[in-house]
Amino acid sequence: TPRHATPSIPSRSLPARQPGSALEEARARLHVSSVPESLPCREQEFQDIYNFVESKVMDGTGGCMYISGVPGTGKTATVHEVIRSLQRASDADDVPAFNFIEINGMKMTDPHQAYVQILQKLTGQKATPDHAAALLEKRFSHAGPKKESTVLLVDELDLLWTRKQNVMYNLFDWPTRRHGRLVVLTIANTMDLPERIMINRVASRLGLTRMSFQPYSFKQLQQIIMSRLNKVKAFEEDALQLVSRKVAALSGDARRCLDICRRATEICEHTSLDPGAPGLVGMSHVMQALDEMFSSAYVTAIRCASVQEQLFLRSVLMEFRRLGLEEATFQQVLVQHQALCRVEGLQPPSVSEALAACQRLGACRLLLLEPSRLGVLQRVRLNVSQDDVLYALKAE
Amino acid sequence: MTASLQHPGYDPERLLCVAEKMPCRVSQAGTLLSLMGEPAQYSYPSIFLYGHRSTGKSHVINTLLMDLELPHATVSCVECVSVGLMFERVLLALFGPDTSTLLPRSPSLSDFVRIYRQQAPLSPANQTRYIVIEKAELLRDMDSNLLPVLVRLQELVDDNVTVILLSEIVWDRFRPNTGCFEPLILYFPDYSKGDLQQILSQDIHPSYSPELYSAFINILLGVFYSVCRDLRELRHLAALNFSKFCEPLKEGKVKESDTHKLWRNIEPHLKKAMQTVYLRDVSSVQWEQQLQQTEEKECAALKGLSAHAHVELPYYSKFLLIAAYLASYNPARTDRRFFLKHHGKIKKTNFLKKHEKTSNHLLGPKPFPLDRLLAIFYSVVDSRVAPSASVFSQISSLVTLQLLTQLGHDDQLDAPKYKCAVALDFIRAISRTVNFDIVKYLYDFL
Repeated sequence: TPRHATPSIPSRSLPARQPGSALEEARARLHVSSVPESLPCREQEFQDIYNFVESKVMDGTGGCMYISGVPGTGKTATVHEVIRSLQRASDADDVPAFNFIEINGMKMTDPHQAYVQILQKLTGQKATPDHAAALLEKRFSHAGPKKESTVLLVDELDLLWTRKQNVMYNLFDWPTRRHGRLVVLTIANTMDLPERIMINRVASRLGLTRMSFQPYSFKQLQQIIMSRLNKVKAFEEDALQLVSRKVAALSGDARRCLDICRRATEICEHTSLDPGAPGLVGMSHVMQALDEMFSSAYVTAIRCASVQEQLFLRSVLMEFRRLGLEEATFQQVLVQHQALCRVEGLQPPSVSEALAACQRLGACRLLLLEPSRLGVLQRVRLNVSQDDVLYALKAE
Repeated sequence: MTASLQHPGYDPERLLCVAEKMPCRVSQAGTLLSLMGEPAQYSYPSIFLYGHRSTGKSHVINTLLMDLELPHATVSCVECVSVGLMFERVLLALFGPDTSTLLPRSPSLSDFVRIYRQQAPLSPANQTRYIVIEKAELLRDMDSNLLPVLVRLQELVDDNVTVILLSEIVWDRFRPNTGCFEPLILYFPDYSKGDLQQILSQDIHPSYSPELYSAFINILLGVFYSVCRDLRELRHLAALNFSKFCEPLKEGKVKESDTHKLWRNIEPHLKKAMQTVYLRDVSSVQWEQQLQQTEEKECAALKGLSAHAHVELPYYSKFLLIAAYLASYNPARTDRRFFLKHHGKIKKTNFLKKHEKTSNHLLGPKPFPLDRLLAIFYSVVDSRVAPSASVFSQISSLVTLQLLTQLGHDDQLDAPKYKCAVALDFIRAISRTVNFDIVKYLYDFL
């Protein structure tokens, strides 16, 4: 095999099919991976990041920025968009040329691999982490002839945490060097990450340039979907509003919103009587998709459990009520279970059968159990709320 | 033989021969055979056999697989200290010696499955392959993914393979918390008295008639059956004591038919042998020698291993041990009464607390700090003893001799806690050698 082969995957023998109907078109547009050219509802954040990076690149200085927000608020997409427009500007000679490097904490086996990846993306060199750190240190602390600025995007910053925090320290220390010309943009989910996990000298180098992405409101979500669909007529107006209101109330996650819309188009396609012209996605389809996404599987699992398993859950509740505790040993529950079976007119199960039922419930995480080698002495706890169990058992 | 094995896939002559080898286990073997099906058919992915010790689990399985010449691998989890060894043995037995070298140094499950899948088509199976795992309860202590994989190995390697697990523990205590494929569970019941009689009567002494031997077995079971149903142990006892049983016959005192006299002769010996069931206190060679010279010596006169409970200790070590015993079995409140000169008269009933009514000797030793040990030590030793390094080193050597046990962490320098780990008889023997009446100082015997 060649030494520096470009990695690739086998290509298709036939090209991928183009979307045929309006629903398929809508599905392709609503896919999470098809990021649009301009992000709606993030104009302010875009401008802030753009100004920050542009000013640093123009001046030839360095700096850090910390970006936070719950998942699905468009942090990474916005930063990428900023970089894209900056690159366009540098092609038009409005800003000086710069390097863009992206690393992701989740894609690394070890935090120290960050050095290796940065070095490889900067120079194409391969080195061990220690050597790479030394090379990068030299590069950023000495003045070189006509050096370009470097913009470094660090995604999933919290995974770069080590006990001595030297990776984070270096990443935030290099921009402060006089000849560094490094702009570091860091992304994480929690707002108070610097205060929580970073020691003082690391947090102070990160600086106070913070930005937090608020979750989308329902209007924004609606606008995002509308802009994605871009005049493809696939959804009823009310259906869209329902999706965006539900998602905004729960998390404000745009990806979740898009997923639900895609699922709703599929449901619409499957349930329509006329396969040629499935029509619009209506309220009922969206309701069904929302149910699939948000409803708890626990209640369904309890409802579909066998008779003995349901009786066991019921006797767990009875035993909890009798003890006044949220925990009981298996043998205590077994006494209740057998009594309950007699009341119900069923043959009481043997210890092995009851244990099997209990361990099956434990395997699907309805119960929390201790290791099975403790036998009848293992303690049983509920993993769902008692109300959920009662609700599921009652509605028969 | 009442029942006989019948199964369409196998040679009936051979099955007859197999059935003869496993008396009283023909019905279990029949069930197993029908689970296994004909050689070419797919069998159930995993079978779990359980039953008490020496109920013939391994014997039945191994005889079936050996005599019917089915491809199989037998591994014992005791020998497989690492999973790598187990994989190696399985591959070796199923695919020949070359394949086990294909395994990397510390193989993972996926390596095993990969090599199995590579090898299986090379030597295609027209018969079910069997993997027998003995002492399967140890599988639970190995990697947590091993047991779930083994019970559905058939699916994973896509080959006609059946894993048979043997254990003395019920399946309920095996099931992983994340759940797994449920094997078929088969129980091997204990042998009844009649079964044991039948099996034991099979190994006949060549110079005597089978009736005599079975009469001997009858007497043996009459004595031992209440304490021991372990076939292996009973067989061992029968072999040890048969020569004694035959002695009057050799000397010509009684005839073979005179069972009552034979019984009178052997019975006291068997009663004595009862004390050594399971305990190889007296080794079997010693026992046989003893039986030969029984005229001069009584049977139990020979001291067993456990009777050698006399240890030579230095003088102060003896007192340290006595002090430790007193500290372990007396409540700390009563130390004033036992070891102070002017304590006044206190009756036991006065300072008997409610929960102390049960004897401390039943509850076991209690932990005590080093200070208390030394205080009692100084008060029981008559002369003045300097707290020199030798006293402290004697304490730590008592710990190494396992006469004391240290509680908590090893590297604890200040205020370590100890427990005394010797029995009352032992400490009485020790205190007799130093003329110390320990019973007078024990709270339980007040």
